[in-house]
Amino acid sequence: MTVVVRAENLTKTFGTHRGIIGIDVSVAEGDIFGFLGPNGSGKSTTIRLLTGLSHPTSGTAKVFGLDPIADAVDIHRRVGYLPGELALHPRLTGQQHVDFAAKVRGLQDRTFLHELVDRFQVDLERPTRTLSKGNRQKIGILLAVMHRPELVILDEPTSGLDPLMQDEFERLMRELVSTGATVFLSSHELDEVQRVATRVAIIKDGHLVVTDTVEALRRRAPRTIEFSFPRTVDPKPFASIEGVHVVAANGKRITLALRGAVAPVLRVAAELDPLDVVARPADLDELFLTYYRDQSAEEPVDAR
Amino acid sequence: MRADIAVIDLRLRRRALLSYVVGMALYALVIVALYPQFKGATSLDQLTKNGSAVAALFGATGSLTSPSGWLDANIYENFLPLIMLLITVGYGASCIAGQDEDGTLSLATILPISRRAVVLQKVEALTVQALLLAIATMGCVLIGRQFDLTFPVTHLAGLSLGVALLGVDFGLCALAVGSITGSRGTALGVTAALAAASYLVSSLAPVIGWIRPARYASLFYWSVGNQQLANGLSLASVGVLISVGALLTLIAVAGFRRLDLH
Repeated sequence: MTVVVRAENLTKTFGTHRGIIGIDVSVAEGDIFGFLGPNGSGKSTTIRLLTGLSHPTSGTAKVFGLDPIADAVDIHRRVGYLPGELALHPRLTGQQHVDFAAKVRGLQDRTFLHELVDRFQVDLERPTRTLSKGNRQKIGILLAVMHRPELVILDEPTSGLDPLMQDEFERLMRELVSTGATVFLSSHELDEVQRVATRVAIIKDGHLVVTDTVEALRRRAPRTIEFSFPRTVDPKPFASIEGVHVVAANGKRITLALRGAVAPVLRVAAELDPLDVVARPADLDELFLTYYRDQSAEEPVDAR
Repeated sequence: MRADIAVIDLRLRRRALLSYVVGMALYALVIVALYPQFKGATSLDQLTKNGSAVAALFGATGSLTSPSGWLDANIYENFLPLIMLLITVGYGASCIAGQDEDGTLSLATILPISRRAVVLQKVEALTVQALLLAIATMGCVLIGRQFDLTFPVTHLAGLSLGVALLGVDFGLCALAVGSITGSRGTALGVTAALAAASYLVSSLAPVIGWIRPARYASLFYWSVGNQQLANGLSLASVGVLISVGALLTLIAVAGFRRLDLH
């Protein structure tokens, strides 16, 4: 297995402000690696360190085994990057942006570029200040992948795209991976990541809280059980059961997220004469919300 | 050397640059065309007689009715340097720090091009802008030879080079401060303060004795403040201006290499 991206104890602080603390990440060639976290959790800071735009306070990062600062030119030749807050020159057209990047990259064959323009219906003729956020984002996607990079680093790539274009973008990511590329996909949207990613890391408050495959996470994900009672009930007996989190308690209706055996829950519920019970299978959403809500709910895990 | 980044930056600034250049050229034309009306006005020389500090503040010393005195006092010691610095300091502060603040710098810094090369291309764009203004103004002043303004063309060319280098140096100062701090405001503020001090020292040195020794620290003195139109731009001046520019470029490259970008 060839490791394309490796970060070890990567730390970046901004004066007294927290940035990221002790991030360990490893991305294998051919992976679509999902990097999940709420806004402000440190995703973009990590990416800026990996792309050599920013200097680490401590720890190391390697991309293709190279140093992102010292070997920036070599790395950038092989990487495509879509920033989280894409800023284009307002008075220049998309075509001028694309021509500039193509020229610096020495891109001769523009067949793939033209194909992308058609697929994403990119408007390259108008100054970018006149384009909608979605249409500007499409230009950012072009700039990130038009040279068929070996590693694509995407920070909130589908921001502003309509659902059709989001689907098209997911297809593009899979195609890139099928031709040998690796994708580092940062997002705060679980849906987007779990549809395409093979492995996932979750970052919260600058710390990595879990790294695992999507399948393994799904296996660990809590099930959801919803009880209806003939009268208002106190959720406390449920909350005190190990592995149970009370998601919602709305008088006569209680929703629980459950890990582990169901028997203790049923025993408590039986004494309250439930009218109905609905159980849903393992829910990845709930797992991620658990991590987002409370880091101590789960010890850091790294499956690899 | 590649110039893709320089070309993009010049394209982004072409409207503002064109306005400044055309405006300055028209102003220079008016000044040279007015000379025949003022060349015999001896009362004008009363303004600078006995070393008036007020006149010196506005860049006027010595005879105002001689061709070189007229051009120095109306164009080369004040108005042209001011316009030059508006262009070059504005660009110097925006081309690294400003573009990083608005997020567009990463369009270039994520490409396979070293940070050193990025800075050098910014210096290229800066130099082109300074030369354009200096050459356009020189062209209009040359027309003044039809209006009794006689002076050696080589001296005018030297002075124009001096003004261009003055602009490049202060632009580089803003670029260097911006590369170190990442702040456009700081780059503008620090450079504007240095330029104002430099101008004051150079313009007051001929009339205030205790300021006189400090003139060697003023880039204005080396470029426009030492009667270059009458005497020519010395090699020493060119050496000082280019050396300062080279040093500032090195500082800018070192600062930009350490800068955390957005």
